[in-house]
Amino acid sequence: MTNEELKSYIETNYASLLTHNEAGKYDLLFIVDAANLVSVCEKLRDDSELLFDYFCNLGGIDTTEKFEAVYNIASTKKKIRLDIKVILPHENPAVDSVQTVWPAANWYEREMWELYGIHINNHDNLTRFLLHDEWDEGYPMRKDWDAPDFIRFPDL
Amino acid sequence: MGIIKKLPVYSEKIPGGGIVTTSVEQILNFAQAKSLWYLLFGTACCAIELMCTGASRYDFDRLGMIFRASPRQADLIIAAGTITKKMAPRLRTLYDQMAEPRYVIAMGGCTIKGGPFYYDSYSVEKGIDHIIPVDVYIPGCPPRPESLLEGCITLQKQIQKRKLGDWQEK
Repeated sequence: MTNEELKSYIETNYASLLTHNEAGKYDLLFIVDAANLVSVCEKLRDDSELLFDYFCNLGGIDTTEKFEAVYNIASTKKKIRLDIKVILPHENPAVDSVQTVWPAANWYEREMWELYGIHINNHDNLTRFLLHDEWDEGYPMRKDWDAPDFIRFPDL
Repeated sequence: MGIIKKLPVYSEKIPGGGIVTTSVEQILNFAQAKSLWYLLFGTACCAIELMCTGASRYDFDRLGMIFRASPRQADLIIAAGTITKKMAPRLRTLYDQMAEPRYVIAMGGCTIKGGPFYYDSYSVEKGIDHIIPVDVYIPGCPPRPESLLEGCITLQKQIQKRKLGDWQEK
């Protein structure tokens, strides 16, 4: 299945749930509502034409006005890849856990919570594991983050 | 190290005792400088150069440097690679577990001042001299094996200049 076929398939079958976005450069990018995330992911995994069975990566983005979480998923049987993005408010961002759909999402979600402060609802073990144990300086990947020994790259 | 430290105090009181002190000093310094066993502590790409130096082409063994996997058997710790804030307490523990006299070589830009992670980094310790005292700094990113050999020879020269009475516990 090529990207064009995948795009037309998703646009005919998931028109109400997924909106296409042009920002996806190599893989197709679709935007989904935070409320529908888990149900859409389940449908994508169980759809016999798609079979998205592999969770590649989860990324957070801080645009200073909003947070975005990008889920990169792939199908090992159909040889296709897809990005789905959730847009979250900058105040108290929270997103549902997809580890019921793909258990591999567990650690990625912990990492995103640890570095971006995006809370994960219904996560079974939301504890710190990348930063050191005494960390109390906030979420370091946020744009507005600062610390006493943090040296910003000077404007050249 | 108590006996070694107090040897000059007692031996120099007797006639000709200075000869004993100097001879013991020379033998000890020679033995320790030529058998610097280093702790295998590679945390990043500098460790690749350290491995290369240890292998047959550059042959660390000819300086008497043999790697040890346990800090209890090591005289020297070559901090090869980025030290993150999470790694810093572990490095301190390893250093504390080594027996006196112990030496530290800071290999590469990351261990000297954070290296390429000096700016915009929340996780990297900017210089291991915040954690442990360093004897020799080797700049480079990563340093060539020749630089590492030069650094180790510099440390050996430092050891051979040591006086018995001056040994300090760091």
